Amino acid sequence: MSYLSSVDFFEDKDFLDRYRYTMRTGELDLSWMQAATEKVQCEPQNPRRGLTFRDLDVGTYGFTNMPELIRANRSFAPRGAEIPAGVPDLQAEVNRKSEVWAYNIEGYYEEAMSRQWNATTDVPWDELSKYELPEEIGKAYSQLLTFLTEVEMIATDVPAKWMGRLNADFFEVKNFIATQAMDEARHAEVFRKRALTTGWGLMRASLSNECNLKFLRDADSFAEASLTLHLQAEGMVLTLFRFSELISPTEVDKKMFRLVMQDEARHVGYGMQHLKWVLDHFPEKREVIHRHLDEAENFVFGGGYATEVLEPFIILSGKGMKQENIQQGLKITAQFNLKQVDEYFERLDKCGLPERRERSKLAQINEMTRAVIAAQA
Amino acid sequence: MTVSFPSIDFFRALQARMHDERERFKRLGYFDTVFGVRVLDAGRTHAYVLSFEVFECTGVRETADLSAEPVDFVLEGDLDTWVEMLRNIQQHRAADVAHSINTLTHLGERMRVVYDDPDGHDKLYRFAESVQEFIDLAATLDIEYAPRQAASHAGA
Repeated sequence: MSYLSSVDFFEDKDFLDRYRYTMRTGELDLSWMQAATEKVQCEPQNPRRGLTFRDLDVGTYGFTNMPELIRANRSFAPRGAEIPAGVPDLQAEVNRKSEVWAYNIEGYYEEAMSRQWNATTDVPWDELSKYELPEEIGKAYSQLLTFLTEVEMIATDVPAKWMGRLNADFFEVKNFIATQAMDEARHAEVFRKRALTTGWGLMRASLSNECNLKFLRDADSFAEASLTLHLQAEGMVLTLFRFSELISPTEVDKKMFRLVMQDEARHVGYGMQHLKWVLDHFPEKREVIHRHLDEAENFVFGGGYATEVLEPFIILSGKGMKQENIQQGLKITAQFNLKQVDEYFERLDKCGLPERRERSKLAQINEMTRAVIAAQA
Repeated sequence: MTVSFPSIDFFRALQARMHDERERFKRLGYFDTVFGVRVLDAGRTHAYVLSFEVFECTGVRETADLSAEPVDFVLEGDLDTWVEMLRNIQQHRAADVAHSINTLTHLGERMRVVYDDPDGHDKLYRFAESVQEFIDLAATLDIEYAPRQAASHAGA
């Protein structure tokens, strides 16, 4: 135990006397009824949507007028509540709005809550019995699912790690990353389940991707973690899920990938809107962002072309292992790799970081790859 | 009732079917996007704007110039590809492995996703299952496919 009460309540005479007196006489204190808080009565602006966080964005309860630095609340007191003297300082590590905020964060949360799905029952698992996959396809698919399970486990852990370290006033952000932790846990669940239905089980974990995952987990700040996880990693994983839907061997898998890509796109949306917020309000952070991305891109390059990732894609997209299948798979996979990187830079352009392409080694490699493919064609 | 494709009536029929299946679409969650559909028919273009809010398709209209419309993204393809997709949906009650929206648009060869803003583009994926199930409602329609226009020889 690292935190102990300064009072032994079972032995504190005043506390015990007050408790017994209240329960015996019914004489209530009621001082809390005079709480020095704003009196509000929020209503749903759109009854079809229900009551949303946006409807609660009023006065001291709201988020629009939150200051950049949260000094007043160092506790779990909900934003807008009266904070009595003596509450412990929870020493939240993240107290600056610019580290966590994103345009439309409240909208992403509500969307997340409404679009939760169930990996146990929303994937038509019973229909898998209609399909029999050739051995090389089954093994390649199981390897892809092994990799995806690995990735989604860290995507669960990273938001969960940071959730408790954010100031309680960042209510909407904490709630959103709680939904992300749930989303990613569900992804790890569905990919593990699918791997164990293939007849091949799980295959091999990926060394270079494990290093990339450790980089994500060990980020020094939430801002760094969010930039590399939400925008970069999940952006590329979103393209990967779309590609996986394309190369899915069955309709069951296509539905599974459509469901996971929904969640992933929402996380990427948060990442984009967070970066836009930061660059709009704190342009001096631009260079720090570039330095984070330099190292993140180094890891992505090493992880993305790992044999445990690349080879299953080639086999699945070429639909086999004969020479003509491999050649076809190489072409399609190369196009996917280009698209993954192109879309990453496209997002950065839109967020206000267009100069990233010029200074990025990943962009240079991508252009080199594009030139090689064009020459071969 | 038979509806013709491509036509505004086709999309209005999908809208009506979505309303009939509102509990199913409600379970999928909020569906908040406006997207365009562009059907290319030998020099002639059929273009529509479909609006979705909360759990419903709130608007369907035809437009002469989709590029001027404030849409999140446009699904664009030639008539033959759209018809093949819809026939496939009608045959199998839902798109099969070769005919989902993501599959047809992914390589940009048969169909494409056109967009200005990657955030708008990503809405296709944020609402992927809702979009697919909306299109799959075509399985419940009696569709008459318009004959392909003869290629125009303007300037010949």
